[in-house]
Amino acid sequence: MTRFLGMMVMLVVLAGALLGFSLLAYWVAAALGTGFSAWFGSGSPDRVLMYYGVSVANVVMLMLVAMMVAGSLLTVAERKWSALLQNRIGANRIKVLGSSLGGIPFLVADALKMLTKERVEPSGKTRVLYELGPILSFAPVFALFAVVPIGPPVAIQAIFPSAANQGAAFQVPLQVASVDAGLIYVFALASLQVYGTSLAGWSSNNKLALLGGVRASSQMISYEVSLGLALVGAMLTFRTLRLEQMVGVQSLPVFGAVPAWGILLQPIGFLIFFASAFAETKRAPFDLPEGESEIVGYFIEYSGMKFGLMFLAEFVEIVILSSIVTAVFLGGWHPFVSPEWLRTVVSPLWFGAICAAAFLAKTVVLMWLQITIRWLLPRFRYDQIQKLCWKLLLPAAIVNVFVTAAILLASSDGNPTVSAAELRPIAWFGVATLVVISIVTAAVGGRPHPAGSHAPAAGH
Amino acid sequence: MPYQLDNRPPDLRESMYFPEIIRGIGKVAKHFFRNLLFSRDRNPDVLERPRGLGLSDNVTLQYPEERAPYPPGYRGLHRLVPREDGRPRCVACYMCATACPAQCIYIEAGEYPDDPIEKYPVKFVIDELRCVVCGFCVEACPKDAIRMDSGEHAPPSYTRAAQIWDEKRLLRGPPVSYQYDPWLRRGSAHVPPEKLEEMRARARPFPENATDEASQTPGFSVRVLAAEAKLRAEGS
Repeated sequence: MTRFLGMMVMLVVLAGALLGFSLLAYWVAAALGTGFSAWFGSGSPDRVLMYYGVSVANVVMLMLVAMMVAGSLLTVAERKWSALLQNRIGANRIKVLGSSLGGIPFLVADALKMLTKERVEPSGKTRVLYELGPILSFAPVFALFAVVPIGPPVAIQAIFPSAANQGAAFQVPLQVASVDAGLIYVFALASLQVYGTSLAGWSSNNKLALLGGVRASSQMISYEVSLGLALVGAMLTFRTLRLEQMVGVQSLPVFGAVPAWGILLQPIGFLIFFASAFAETKRAPFDLPEGESEIVGYFIEYSGMKFGLMFLAEFVEIVILSSIVTAVFLGGWHPFVSPEWLRTVVSPLWFGAICAAAFLAKTVVLMWLQITIRWLLPRFRYDQIQKLCWKLLLPAAIVNVFVTAAILLASSDGNPTVSAAELRPIAWFGVATLVVISIVTAAVGGRPHPAGSHAPAAGH
Repeated sequence: MPYQLDNRPPDLRESMYFPEIIRGIGKVAKHFFRNLLFSRDRNPDVLERPRGLGLSDNVTLQYPEERAPYPPGYRGLHRLVPREDGRPRCVACYMCATACPAQCIYIEAGEYPDDPIEKYPVKFVIDELRCVVCGFCVEACPKDAIRMDSGEHAPPSYTRAAQIWDEKRLLRGPPVSYQYDPWLRRGSAHVPPEKLEEMRARARPFPENATDEASQTPGFSVRVLAAEAKLRAEGS
């Protein structure tokens, strides 16, 4: 019972930490925005300089702090969470003052180990490409986070009342870059990542690494297709490529107070995107490029922090994938209750912080889901992996695109902005799909009958 | 294996993967939340741990701190069984050393100055590194003087010399007396008469058959040790 209470306290502390981090991120962004304007400007407030300042603050707070800390904590979380799934305790032998602190000290131990390891390199390597491999597998993943909107834009006066006179109506977003291409940028950088893995595999002068690299490239290129097509339905529904606008559309109330979350409008798209993105992260059940029991993987010849970079890239990819799924399918920073109501209750800064904390909380849940799936499923065989992509996910994605387009065509009112009434038919279709999926999941099939029991055998 | 699976190709629903995966997530999530929210039972006898709603499924033993008890027939580290007066029951008959296939027992016989009709081991050395833990010595002993009921391993050591156990280390554990023991019937010069009466009253008849109760010294049971360990774990 004490553990139960302790876990409840931990949950509250986690929620508080997310909220506190969001507040801090807004504050740092606003501070650097006004600071840039004051230091580099000519005295009068300069919107461009403020924008630069906010972007720099967001790069530091969101990409360097939030994403990297989440990614490295996930290395520990994977051990502990998998242990909990398998009725084990998990890493707990490093004790600080008698407490294992949930295994978090292992983070320091791992980092120390990676940094101080001997550098072992193959003699026949292709020097430039070999050095480029870890960079190319880490950098695109890192840059992907730039377009993810963590929190809603908040007016700078709400954060610094003293700034009211200078930056007239400047909005501080919790997003590094609001790119017009949005999702296209995501696809472009995600497909760049395959160069890192295949070059690492090829330049290592090792046949197992080469096999891993070839597997990685074929798998990632095939899943790239269904990854893109799965999001076409979402693009059609939300009529935009910008992630922050997608989040805006998702807060429209579609059934009474129920918001038009992407998972309600595009359940098939969600499943296909999640599966394909899982293949992009190269983790079980899609960990053929690594396949530690058959070939050790494309990074077999890397040691020390070069391997650590590839290892970390995997976990950072989990964070990215979770945040993109949250933004596109789980309502982004929609704070679970009606945003209009919340806006009337709390101040704008607190509204933004609560929304950003809600986004982070959803991301944490999705990260948990991914690690659960990784420990739930065995590795696919190579033919199964290709069959799943080309014969199941790709046709389903294409059908999803056509059905979505047809329903939207029928329900369109000719107005360029999306309204809740327009989304209602597709939402009904999505709810029907969800009902069918849950019926298929719950009703059909079951545990296999024990041999020799009196259960009716099939075919008699 | 609890059941046999028929080797058939997957049907349409199974080859869609998703419904089965969603079910699998449900199954493992149940374990996750039970293990996350509820504390681990520390009973070293894992099979005795209670299961059910509101309890953790965790079966881990934190090894060096918590140890599983060995089953009653476990052949552990040897001990020389003492009498009630602290002397070994051993009469240095060399039966165990003769029976030992690994030849790891070395005995030097001697006589007590106060009791010259009785032999005793001046030296009784077992090389635990040579011992193959077959238990023949225990079966060969006519006096129930050597037992392997301590329920422990030979403890690890940094030197080979530490694995050579002499009579000072081997003579330990609770004493055992039987009614036919000559020193009880005859009396002994160094045991006062009232103490002798007490020892005679406590002596047991020698068992006809080797039973579980006889192979296990009273008060030296591994189950009792496990129960004590459990109590200690719950207390801390």
